[in-house]
Amino acid sequence: MATSTYLSNPVVTINAVDMTDQCTSAVLTRVIESLESTAFGQTNRSYVGGLENSTLTVSMYNSFAASETYATLKALVGTQVTVKVKPTSAATSATNPESTLTGAFMESLPIVNGQLGALDVIDITFSAGAYSVAIA
Amino acid sequence: MAYVIASPRLGKVGDAYEPDDGVNVEALIDGGFIKSTSKSTKSDKPIKDTNEE
Repeated sequence: MATSTYLSNPVVTINAVDMTDQCTSAVLTRVIESLESTAFGQTNRSYVGGLENSTLTVSMYNSFAASETYATLKALVGTQVTVKVKPTSAATSATNPESTLTGAFMESLPIVNGQLGALDVIDITFSAGAYSVAIA
Repeated sequence: MAYVIASPRLGKVGDAYEPDDGVNVEALIDGGFIKSTSKSTKSDKPIKDTNEE
């Protein structure tokens, strides 16, 4: 049984713009690339840490209205972006840390993801950049 | 360059905005989130050369 849980309600900021109310999913994964260091004589593979290559993937409702999804993202595709996410809307603290990817690359922007009878939802991935975390 | 906030997604509308390092200001202007308060400066009128020989 879990001893500490929280209601999933992350705050997502893209290029300083609060996009929380358009997001339905945010997955920040910290990745350190593995480099194989196995040598002759070893009986198991071994790895050492390489470059960091973390990613943030967000699912957002698409909207072309003013100050909404498209207006926020249209000029960011193909550029380095600062993105932030924290678990809840409470003040930043050790139990609600705000993670930042500075200079994360936004490679693609789906313009329309239309399906019959469904809202237009797009997935955006921000790759790499420098990871940092604030607790105050 | 000075900016003011034009969208509540960024802060209180009308407040001055100072971008942090790494913020793409051009994208914020393009998206209508901030406005520049700097007025464009008109170039001086060309000075007529009155020294006619």
